[in-house]
Amino acid sequence: MKSLKYIWRNVTRNKLRTILTVLSVSFSLALMTVLHGYIAMQSVWGTEAKKNNRVVVMNIQGFSGAVPIANVDKVRGVEGVKSAVPYSWYGGDYKEERMPFAQFATDPKEVFNVWDEFSIDPDQLTAWQTDRQGCVVDRQLAEKRGWNIGDRIPIQGTFLPLNLDLKLCGVFDAPKYTDSLWFHWQYLDEGLKQMNSFGSGNSGTIFAKAHSAAAIPGIVETIDSMFASSQNPTRTQTEAAFAQMFADMLGDIQAYIRYISLAVVFALSLVAANGMAMSMRERTTEVAVLKAIGFPRSRVLKMVLGEACLIAVFGGILGIALGCFVLQFLHGISSQFFPIGMADLAGPWLLYLLAIAAGIGIVSGIVPAVRAAQLSVIDGLRRVV
Amino acid sequence: MAEPIVVVRDLYKEFHREQIVIPVLMGIHLEMNAGDFLALMGPSGSGKTTLLNLLAGLDKPTSGTVTVVNSDLGTMWPGELAKWRSRHIGFIFQLYNLIPVLTAYENVELPLTLTRLPRKERDQHVRAALELVGLSDRIDHYPRQLSGGQEQRVSIARAIATDPTLIVADEPTGDLDATSAGEILDLLERLHQEFEKTIVMVTHDPNAAARAARLIHLEKGVLVDEGGPVLTRGEPA
Repeated sequence: MKSLKYIWRNVTRNKLRTILTVLSVSFSLALMTVLHGYIAMQSVWGTEAKKNNRVVVMNIQGFSGAVPIANVDKVRGVEGVKSAVPYSWYGGDYKEERMPFAQFATDPKEVFNVWDEFSIDPDQLTAWQTDRQGCVVDRQLAEKRGWNIGDRIPIQGTFLPLNLDLKLCGVFDAPKYTDSLWFHWQYLDEGLKQMNSFGSGNSGTIFAKAHSAAAIPGIVETIDSMFASSQNPTRTQTEAAFAQMFADMLGDIQAYIRYISLAVVFALSLVAANGMAMSMRERTTEVAVLKAIGFPRSRVLKMVLGEACLIAVFGGILGIALGCFVLQFLHGISSQFFPIGMADLAGPWLLYLLAIAAGIGIVSGIVPAVRAAQLSVIDGLRRVV
Repeated sequence: MAEPIVVVRDLYKEFHREQIVIPVLMGIHLEMNAGDFLALMGPSGSGKTTLLNLLAGLDKPTSGTVTVVNSDLGTMWPGELAKWRSRHIGFIFQLYNLIPVLTAYENVELPLTLTRLPRKERDQHVRAALELVGLSDRIDHYPRQLSGGQEQRVSIARAIATDPTLIVADEPTGDLDATSAGEILDLLERLHQEFEKTIVMVTHDPNAAARAARLIHLEKGVLVDEGGPVLTRGEPA
């Protein structure tokens, strides 16, 4: 504690060098925060999904296949299923913006039974159910876009050759921001049929709500058995597993992300080490004086390492804060791709990143610290005398 | 009769530059009593600073012994020596060597942070030392805000803050103008006479040496004479 003042003064001695070092560390940590945050997001999404007792039915070939719409009624009839809806990702553009929010085609009569944690004004729900071109959106999305009930929302098709002309009938409230718009699956299907387009008569997935968590294993087995011999066999999984699937789709990319980010961190450690070495070289005489008046090697070592760690941890805190801000910002503008906000994302992985920042400090400071500790007092004093 | 606090016996010191052996001190015998003020004079390369470093526990003899307050410095480990120096030695350097990022107060406090003294007592020691050197009004000044003479006075305050057994001064006036040098020598003389501090001072300056109670002259690593001051105060070199 007695050395803290001296360490702090040394940190602020060459402000430009310290700022540049802090920024280099913070940049790498911000990058790591975003990458690791995205990976953590998939995990948190899966954990959140476990609470909802929902299963997702998709073609066994994955997103490249479809699920016939007739299967929705069959799923509804499975024992333990409370409700089921088609759920097709549309992925359209809004005005000049490319896929700015999520759009799903679904069944307005049942969708709030499947997502029963969501709520909507009954009159608005009725209005949507009775208007084929109607849609409902997350309240935060409506507020962000300044949409009001009755507004027209034109969506241009991207991978589906159909444009939508939607009318806002209502806003729903969700426990967490979904960045989503729901519209009639039938409106989509009729348009595709008129164009003789692929995809008509099918849904991307079916979401089903189970009466209880205990019923889910039976539901999964029953559904997949039911369609095993059909032209479109299914793969049914819990919503949590569905979320995990997106994380798994990243596959080795997760490992690559970790390796690349660690390589960036290591490279920047060397940059920080160079700065620290330069700083210590300029202070050779000072170190010699400290040792002459009785500072032991261990204390000199700790002081130099403390200085390097302080700079790195400052950079780390700044970088992690910046990374969290970026993640929150991305969640705010695009919840379909960044579904979890920082309030739910914060966890031990942030401490792991802070430990990495401290590690940068140790790596960058260890060589100058050892050299300072081993400095011959006489050689150090001779430099200027 | 009191035992001497510094005893140097048959001291040899050699340096090695690649294959060449350079003898610097050859068979030095020296004793100092508590309260001595000793000046070491001699031409460049005569071994003055080397002898000073050995007395201060910064270096080890090639052979012979250096015993200061009953500690044989040649047998001590670096860690022991560091602790010993913090307790027994006060350093005054030619170029002051204050820590530029610390104020005068903090520079003087620095060696006290190695002790177990509580903050309040450290504060008393620091203020007393700065008072003694006449810099009570400059405690918050950084070295860059002080003149050379003031910096050296802070350096002296730092050297005496822990009340060391021995003060070693390496050319303490070597970088100062005549007026400032005179003030520093007054201060050292006062430490010797009024506070009975034991001081070893290396100097090229006969006027500075004249302030000391004893003078040692080194010539090519050998003690060539020892006696009282060679000049009286104020006499030209």
